[in-house]
Amino acid sequence: MAVIEKPAAPRSGAQTVIGSSIVIDGEISGDEDLVIEGTVKGKIALRESLFVESSGVIEADIETANVEVSGQVTGNIAATQKVELKAACKVMGDIRAPRILIADGAVFRGNVDMDMGARAPKGK
Amino acid sequence: MATTSGSTVIGESILINGNLNGDEDLTVRGRVEGTVTLSRTLVVEPSGVVKAEVQVRNCVIAGAVIGNVTATESVEITKEGRMVGDIAAPRVIIVDGASFKGRVDMGEVDVGAERAAPRAALSRAQRPALATARPTARVAREEAVGEAPAPRPPAPPPALGMGAVKRKVVVKRK
Repeated sequence: MAVIEKPAAPRSGAQTVIGSSIVIDGEISGDEDLVIEGTVKGKIALRESLFVESSGVIEADIETANVEVSGQVTGNIAATQKVELKAACKVMGDIRAPRILIADGAVFRGNVDMDMGARAPKGK
Repeated sequence: MATTSGSTVIGESILINGNLNGDEDLTVRGRVEGTVTLSRTLVVEPSGVVKAEVQVRNCVIAGAVIGNVTATESVEITKEGRMVGDIAAPRVIIVDGASFKGRVDMGEVDVGAERAAPRAALSRAQRPALATARPTARVAREEAVGEAPAPRPPAPPPALGMGAVKRKVVVKRK
């Protein structure tokens, strides 16, 4: 299987934290894990994992490998590996990823697309 | 490292392009372009690059900053720090080894007799060369609002909440 899964919570390795009082209006890109406790508007493009904490508010299109949402996201999410909507999160927008998890209690409105074309189907 | 837990860190591989506002300390190890407005301290670490219009309370530059920095308290360029741009702050510290190109404006220059004088506006007006050379009206206005009522405390700074400040060379006090 070509997809190498990362552990669900590599948060200790996350170097970049956007604190709860921070508001970023623009574009964030990078090659490392990103934890957002504040507000980001614009666009986020990462090659690693994005964690939207419960205080985090995103109004942006997101392109990453993994996304874990406990806060609010308005915008489209495209992940190469996995999107996880935790309980008590609020997500408005379309999600495209080979693996999508929506926990009980999560609020979500949008389209889900797990058919990533080139990705190998996983025993289904 | 001057970072306190719970503050915001921009990691080495991260690029932020746009406006960044906040009320907490910010440590930059990656790149930030655009504007940075904080009510606390900005720390640019050696790997950090900030190409932005910066408005903060305190600023510690150990990396590279290109752009104007306006601080309500202090700006320090450490020995690893490189900066191109204008600094407007009541306290500006440039240590040996730092590289800097730009203008420094500490507001009213305390020249002996004027030290205790509260007439900041007057003393400012007596320095036409500096006053007219100031790059933007915005900077000048902010200084007038922010600093005029409070003459600079002569004692060493009480408000630096960051351990990294060495206060070795204070380029001013004259």
